[in-house]
Amino acid sequence: MEKKKYEVCLEVLRRFSEAGILDNIILIGSWCLYFYKEYFTGVYFPPSIRTRDMDFLVPLPPHMKKKVDVADLLKDLGFIPEFVSSQGYIRLGHPELIVEFLVPERGRGSDKPFPLPQIGLNAQPLRFLDFLAKNVIEINVGRLRVRLPHPVAFALHKLIITGRRTKREKAEKDRDQALSLLHFVIKHDRPDKIRSVYGSMPKKWRDQIRKRLAESDEKEIISVLSGTARK
Amino acid sequence: MVIKSILREELENSSRLKQEYERALKKLPQGALVSKTINGHKYYYLVRRAGRKVKYEYKGKVSGAVKRKYEEAKKLRAKYIGLLARVKKQIAFLRSALRGKEEI
Repeated sequence: MEKKKYEVCLEVLRRFSEAGILDNIILIGSWCLYFYKEYFTGVYFPPSIRTRDMDFLVPLPPHMKKKVDVADLLKDLGFIPEFVSSQGYIRLGHPELIVEFLVPERGRGSDKPFPLPQIGLNAQPLRFLDFLAKNVIEINVGRLRVRLPHPVAFALHKLIITGRRTKREKAEKDRDQALSLLHFVIKHDRPDKIRSVYGSMPKKWRDQIRKRLAESDEKEIISVLSGTARK
Repeated sequence: MVIKSILREELENSSRLKQEYERALKKLPQGALVSKTINGHKYYYLVRRAGRKVKYEYKGKVSGAVKRKYEEAKKLRAKYIGLLARVKKQIAFLRSALRGKEEI
């Protein structure tokens, strides 16, 4: 099952690349955790639970140079458009993957889908996604260059949205993923990066993160954020 | 509890997907085009099932666009039927996993 999922995922990325849209979108969501092993080279990065969702962030304004009908692009693979909720979000479903597009929500926000005629679909606006778009890394997946949020940005973003989740289980999943990723960065990568990304966030967000970490009694991460961690 | 909520979400996704595949299958043009060559000319028939019978409907000469439409529908139908079977297996698996007595 996992192998099939990965094959479908690669094929989606390959087609997006050929259509010229992969450079203009950022892979977010739990698939990032799968691909972070390409970033943490040389150390074992443990796999994590993920759903079928393959979410792509479209930074605003969209920079696609030509129009691409994404539903048509993936049609022969068996992807089928699904209308989710009464607001009419469109996502593309397949037994192995569900492809969905998201845009950063700005201002007062809206529960209506954001039209993306450049790709023939619409997107769900969500808070804090601009933050992910500002902290991006590029990794090689075969011959493809895939853009992902920096693992630290991914983790800190998860900690912020944890408090906004209505489902407790989802909040727990977000928190656990965020904490394990941050511990991994402290151990194997660059703990100073955590401090610099955290420092670039608005105070309100930083306070929320601190609160989440204090609730989980995460002294090690808090000391990294405060700059008091032992090297 | 986290795993259980993921399984529940996946069950919802699979159930929705099943409905979408069934709807898409109904929307595809029914039948397949078959050709017969008479005196060097190709004539087309639309072959489809009507209950237990197989019916041939004379279409005569058809354009390339119509042929492509039925060809694409044939490929998609095969694809959707295969994926629908996979989704049904997923639903059965997820239901049985969620029915388990032990806390997941």
